[in-house]
Amino acid sequence: MQTSIIYSIAKKEIMDNVRNKWIILVAAMFAILTLVVSYFGSLGTSGWQNLGNTISGMTELGSFLISIVAFMLGYATIIGEIERGSMSAMLSLSANRFEIVVGKWLGLGAVLCFTILVGYGFAGLLIALNVSNVDILEYLAFIGLTMLFGLVFLTVAICFSTIFAKRSTALGGAIFLWFLFNIILPIVFVGLLMTTIDFSEITMTSTITAPDWYFVLNLFNPISVYSTLITLAIGPVQTSTGSGFIPNPSWYSTGLLLTILVVWIIVFFILSVWRFQRKDI
Amino acid sequence: MVSQTVKCPSCKTIMIITGEPGEKTSITCPSCEQKGVFTIPGEKSTAPTLSQQTAIEVSGLRKTYNHVPAVDNVSFSVNKGEIFGFLGPNGAGKTTTIKSILDLIHADAGSITINGIDVRTRGKEAKKYVGYMPEKVAFYDNLTAIQNMNFYAEIKHASKQECVSLINELGLGDTGKKRVGKFSKGMLQRLGMARALLGSPPILILDEPSGGLDPRGVVLIRDKILEMKKKGTTIFVSSHILSEIQEICDRVGIINKGVLVAQDSVESLSKKLNLKPQMSITLDKLSPAVEDAVRNLPGVEHVVSKGNTLEIICDGAMKAKVILAITNAGANIQNLQTKEPSLEEVFMRYTEA
Repeated sequence: MQTSIIYSIAKKEIMDNVRNKWIILVAAMFAILTLVVSYFGSLGTSGWQNLGNTISGMTELGSFLISIVAFMLGYATIIGEIERGSMSAMLSLSANRFEIVVGKWLGLGAVLCFTILVGYGFAGLLIALNVSNVDILEYLAFIGLTMLFGLVFLTVAICFSTIFAKRSTALGGAIFLWFLFNIILPIVFVGLLMTTIDFSEITMTSTITAPDWYFVLNLFNPISVYSTLITLAIGPVQTSTGSGFIPNPSWYSTGLLLTILVVWIIVFFILSVWRFQRKDI
Repeated sequence: MVSQTVKCPSCKTIMIITGEPGEKTSITCPSCEQKGVFTIPGEKSTAPTLSQQTAIEVSGLRKTYNHVPAVDNVSFSVNKGEIFGFLGPNGAGKTTTIKSILDLIHADAGSITINGIDVRTRGKEAKKYVGYMPEKVAFYDNLTAIQNMNFYAEIKHASKQECVSLINELGLGDTGKKRVGKFSKGMLQRLGMARALLGSPPILILDEPSGGLDPRGVVLIRDKILEMKKKGTTIFVSSHILSEIQEICDRVGIINKGVLVAQDSVESLSKKLNLKPQMSITLDKLSPAVEDAVRNLPGVEHVVSKGNTLEIICDGAMKAKVILAITNAGANIQNLQTKEPSLEEVFMRYTEA
């Protein structure tokens, strides 16, 4: 493994995406949406919301958008180069396959993290200028967790681009997975939960205590893991959203949820390398 | 060789020194006789050289796709310093073989070495000796030619100056700052050749290098190949433009339906196939007596007359005797053309169904 080759590949990915300009649009979009959520986000009140309300508003919207952006960055990165023909040149110049996956992961990861940092950071700055009690560290933690979440989807996308034999099927797979995590799984899990609840005992003020299996299932969806992690880890979000509709069980911890996101990255990264090593170019 | 001007530290006399980049030279100032050691700037050229006589060795190569063999038991070797033409109809397994040599495709069976190094187990090391131009030349469209070349140079550990000089050599000097996405097919092909030449590899593997080029581009690539051969580079080139290969190749390998059917020089292949040269002789006047005299010679296979011209197919060794027989029969030769058996005929014979 040669770090200079990995660095060159990462640098090339950054240059390629910056020259492509769409990523700059995405960063601008993040900033505008954050500002919109912060200004209009809360029902009944108008004007700038505090950071806690902004973050809780951004968590859901952000997980939708960031999973899309991460997929777009990664789904074609390997298979696209194989189809176009540039992969064979890179490999013939004695870059090995492991170096290529690491370089691409680092380069695309940097582009994704930078986009999140610029978009959310710029918006955060504007909010901080207009709202009095801002905890910068909490907001930075939010940005950091969002980056980690983005990297999960980026790694899955890179893995897809090594598994599928065609760029178009990799895109199909990515779209399916996006729907699965954002829409299908939440509906299925809540649906399963509903079948266990005795609605005759529910009043307007009672909170629902869900069984443990529901919380275990949710750990398999990185989007739920991310949003739960935000409510657990970011102080202002906890206080602003209160206990929520379904309170989290006591065994959910920041450490557990963080570990799950990191494990996703490691597992899919290893799978990407393993698949790419065996692929015919 | 690089020239560099240096100033004497004591008397400020300007001197010019020449040498290879990275080389240390001791110099003496001509006016004040101060001695010093100067290192010529730039990175030391690290172009690898072949230590083995066999540049590429393929033995028993087999690769199947969905149980259908694309290449089966293909064995051949490319000697150091030669141009080896790799020929075959479309879909014969040329690109599969080339990609296996570069370990882009993992073969099912067989072994491949480059300069004696196994490409499967020590790929990184083996590929240091190779420059490759794929059949489908592709770059990063958003980046300029220079940016693309700099990226590849970093991977190959070649210098940025080399990128610029290669771009100029391939006639792309004024388009270096243009985005590759706007390049024509011919420009891409040239840039692909420049990329293959990065780091002065001792072996070049070119897959259909003149595909899609205009005649000027074809000549440019062919001249480049011959120039590289003069420098001692071993060249493995696949092509379907047979006339071109015939001119430049030392040896050829012919692959058909995944099987290597021949491997030799064009000359000995035509000998093996018993292909004979064709003569076309124009006379001042053609009489039946002359025609009969030629027809009755041993080794003459085929005689046809067209006006005052005789078309003759005969053994190579009989050519002089044919001419002698014609003059002895009293006819004067006005024009004489001979056509040696072409690679095309060899190719057609070997790839017939």
